Amino acid sequence: MTNDIDLEAEIQRLLTEHDRIAEQGITVQRREHSIVLGGEVESAQRRDEICRQITTRFPEVEITCDIGITRAQAPSEVEEIS
Amino acid sequence: MIRIAAVGDVHVDKDVVGRYRPALEELPDRADALLVAGDLTRHGTVEEARCFAKEFGGLAVPVVVVLGNHDHQSDQQDQVTEVLQDSGITVLEGTATVLEINGHRLGIAGSKGFGGGFAGACASNFGEREMKDFVGTTERYAAALREALHSVEADALVALTHYAPVPETLVGEPLEIYAFLGCYQLGQAIDSAPASLALHGHAHHGSERGRTPGGVPVRNVAHPVIKQAYNVYQLLSGEIESSLTTVG
Repeated sequence: MTNDIDLEAEIQRLLTEHDRIAEQGITVQRREHSIVLGGEVESAQRRDEICRQITTRFPEVEITCDIGITRAQAPSEVEEIS
Repeated sequence: MIRIAAVGDVHVDKDVVGRYRPALEELPDRADALLVAGDLTRHGTVEEARCFAKEFGGLAVPVVVVLGNHDHQSDQQDQVTEVLQDSGITVLEGTATVLEINGHRLGIAGSKGFGGGFAGACASNFGEREMKDFVGTTERYAAALREALHSVEADALVALTHYAPVPETLVGEPLEIYAFLGCYQLGQAIDSAPASLALHGHAHHGSERGRTPGGVPVRNVAHPVIKQAYNVYQLLSGEIESSLTTVG
């Protein structure tokens, strides 16, 4: 595990600025032996690409991936606005 | 009664085409129009815009959108807009449209909006040229929204933005980035008009419900917030005719 104090910032910039990712909604939390990725993306391919790019850039970092795929089912309720 | 379906931040690319379509095909039974609150694509390319048009175009209800910050990433926002409009999708930026629905006039005024912050923690038009450009952009988009809102007469008026007009719907996001997620000037623009509802996206970790200082309901419809293909909001309520259950 790196001791780089800017690791979270570097990962978040990588996820936003990398042209194969462009995700601004991923959370990065440091744990004792790994970093935990959170948030949701639109496809499993995007989730897998995030982990692949972080591993490539920071090979010493252990990743725990809690990124979900946002559900896309039709709603069952309507909200009345007043 | 008017029913509006809304979602934002769908970030369509090739890998997403087909995911939304089954739910979108059900729209005519559930809502009278679909509004999309920006970030239609990942990088704002023409190719991604075509993917969005394939997924969200050709529906049996009108589709009205604003662009988001992702849709500006490749500096192709004009070409993106053209692709969408060619597919029958209405793209608003400092403009408004009126839909005739169930004998009512639904006005929709839209602008992407911009960051800038909220009361007690907002950027000021002062100092370096870069900071003045930032706040100038904030003010320009808010003025465009205000003008669009005042340009139409309707029975129900909806403000559609990508950036947030109030901080309440950002709760869940880090406080430090609120100024990059919205600005109070959008809220002022909305309060200056007889708006019935304000819809925005952009804040993936935010909260769904808030109100402007003037009392207009605000809904953050970012896809990761609503966690379904779209939400449905009912305006000018009368008798409920479809199979959906009313809540709230």
